Amino acid sequence: MIDMKRTPFMFALVAAWPAARSFAQSCAMCGSSFGPDDPVQRAFSWSILFLMAAPYTLFGAVAGWLFYVHRRAAGRRRAAVVELAWGRRKAPAGETGGQLT
Amino acid sequence: MRRHVVPLPPADAPPVSNTRLAMIVLITGESMLFAGLIGMYLVFRLSARTWPPPDQPRLPLGLTALNSAVLLASAFPLTRALGAMRRGEAADGVARRVELTALLGTVFLAIQGAEWARLVRHGLTLGSGTYGGSFYVLIGCHALHVLAAVTWLAVVAVLARRGAFTRVRHAALEMCALYWYFVCGLWAVLFPLVYLY
Repeated sequence: MIDMKRTPFMFALVAAWPAARSFAQSCAMCGSSFGPDDPVQRAFSWSILFLMAAPYTLFGAVAGWLFYVHRRAAGRRRAAVVELAWGRRKAPAGETGGQLT
Repeated sequence: MRRHVVPLPPADAPPVSNTRLAMIVLITGESMLFAGLIGMYLVFRLSARTWPPPDQPRLPLGLTALNSAVLLASAFPLTRALGAMRRGEAADGVARRVELTALLGTVFLAIQGAEWARLVRHGLTLGSGTYGGSFYVLIGCHALHVLAAVTWLAVVAVLARRGAFTRVRHAALEMCALYWYFVCGLWAVLFPLVYLY
């Protein structure tokens, strides 16, 4: 049975397949100005790759660190509760709890 | 017998303070600025058939390597100053270590300034094609950041000598240290890229 939801997508894919090579050239200038192993083209490619990777690396590292710090802080808070349940002695009159040292 | 009760930190206290978060945002923004400049340098460097160009002077590698060691070593007394402040040691010792860091930063800038003057005399200027332009823009931008950080260190040293920081309140020193670590770490990337590669 033909899946009516997938059919337009498959048609679009088949229609776009022959044009994939022309999409990869990105613009007429880049497609026609440089040869297959041009140093300028290679330089631009590496620079673009670096500039694409930089924000993901930076923001990923910062977000990962923030996630780690929050998880660690949450673990500490939970551990403090457990510790108080086992080791906390009765506070003297007039003092309002806390961790005894 | 009187018992010593240590108050627990409030349960809703954020694990990362607002000042530290602001500093991280600033450093991330600065990193993106330098990522753009490094991208520019990579385009010029990789597209050139010979680098440096044959008619341009070579960069002084030995002196700059020594200068890099001075800058990276400057992070050590600052780390010790932070540790001393957290342990609640005397403000005088903390201030002395911060002053030493600022002095090492100034030495780095002075050596780099002398190196630049020599390069200009040898004909490498901002207008010497992509080689001179990319070198002065990238390294000059870092030098400006070092200058700002040295000024900040000097202000922090004065404040520390006046006893403005305590064991629990020394955010200005911590933020200044974070920025200085960023400046040193950035040089650890720029030096191999510009002088060795």
